Amino acid sequence: MKNVCEEQLFSSIFKTNSKTVFNYIYYKFGNEEKAHDAVQEAFVKLWENCAKVLPEKAKSYLYTVANNTYLNVIKAEKVRLKYAQPTLEHSNESPEFLLEEKEYKEKLDKALNNLPENQRTTFLLNRIDGKKYAEIAEIEGVGLKAIEKRMHLALKSLREEIDGI
Amino acid sequence: MQENYLAKWLNGELSEDELAEFKQSDAYASFIKLKEVSGTLVAPEFDVDKSLMELQNERIGNAPKVITLNPFKKFLRVAAVIVVLLTGSYFFVNSMDQTVTTQLAERSELLLPDSSKIILNADSKVSYSEKKWNEKRNVKLKGEAFFKVAKGKKFTVSTDHGTVSVLGTQFNVENREGFFEVTCYEGLVSVSHKNLDTKLPAGTSFLVLEGEVMEVSKPKGIQPSWINNESNFASIPLSYVFKELERQYDIKVNSKDVDTSLLFTGTFSNTDLNMALKSISTPSRITYKIEGNNVLFYAKNTP
Repeated sequence: MKNVCEEQLFSSIFKTNSKTVFNYIYYKFGNEEKAHDAVQEAFVKLWENCAKVLPEKAKSYLYTVANNTYLNVIKAEKVRLKYAQPTLEHSNESPEFLLEEKEYKEKLDKALNNLPENQRTTFLLNRIDGKKYAEIAEIEGVGLKAIEKRMHLALKSLREEIDGI
Repeated sequence: MQENYLAKWLNGELSEDELAEFKQSDAYASFIKLKEVSGTLVAPEFDVDKSLMELQNERIGNAPKVITLNPFKKFLRVAAVIVVLLTGSYFFVNSMDQTVTTQLAERSELLLPDSSKIILNADSKVSYSEKKWNEKRNVKLKGEAFFKVAKGKKFTVSTDHGTVSVLGTQFNVENREGFFEVTCYEGLVSVSHKNLDTKLPAGTSFLVLEGEVMEVSKPKGIQPSWINNESNFASIPLSYVFKELERQYDIKVNSKDVDTSLLFTGTFSNTDLNMALKSISTPSRITYKIEGNNVLFYAKNTP
């Protein structure tokens, strides 16, 4: 039986999943350092239990461990995310437009920080990591419908906050 | 609009009609903008190779691999042991006899399952099986006790000296070292001592002293004197009287130049030590002195 204990397989699992595990924890708790540690923690656990985890289950195992690692520890911390990149300096746009863009991005960052953790995580996994709803459902361990609901609510509240409704 | 239409729209799942309707709404432009800008968001840098190196060098090198061959079997083993222990202790606790013990200078009353009553004198012990009580009314006795037995099946009191069996009556059994006395106050008691059965009708006693069956006078009253806080003796050697005194008061009794085989007839109080000592010493023409928890009896003419 093939298992995760084979170094090559383990490395390939790491390469395909570590970035998303990192982002996932970051979206949840907004702490880069903790996200980094969570990746290490999750893969050490996977390695320790490699005989027990089937390769096809490795992915959801990683998210579960990563999530559990920090679930209780940093729940209380205030999230301070920063996603929006400054717009490129040398563009052809007018200064007014650039200023407007900058303001919009600041509003978006703030609105994201104010979202409930599960809506933010779903929204960003889709927008940044390009994850399909079905994949996010697998990562979060919930149904597709729940993810659609989170996405809908996230879009709705983000728009309302940005437009000041 | 269908449920969660914003999520459907973002995923390009809306039908043409729905999309057209959504485009009519005021918020449409805002959502387009939101879709566009959120598509340019980025997460913090994450160096996959560096993180993998760190993992392999710092963590995995030291972490032992756990390869459990069959974790469920191990669980079963532990579970089996626990089950055996639990059931074992359940039966053990259940089959254990009920025991009531009195210390020196203490008395206790207990009610048996059939509402028979036992009053325990000092330094005594009874045990019986509550579970099997309905099949066999059997009580083990060490020391002295007064029994008020409810009518029913045969009731047996087992002692080192012999067994006493009745059908429903009131009787007293005293079973001390070298001393075995059964007194029947009501009904009929059968005493079995050294393969010899004796029937005791109400108002009679059966006494064995140092292995010999003694002739005894008829007991007074309808219950033993100790129930009324008195110890009563009829031609009993002083040594046994002293022992009873020790039990009732939790003291140590010694004697000097006193013939303890002299027979004593009389009563002493179980509540007033000075009275009790006088009751014993005066008729026996001896004297006594108390030192803490010790009592010394000595002949009158020795200092």
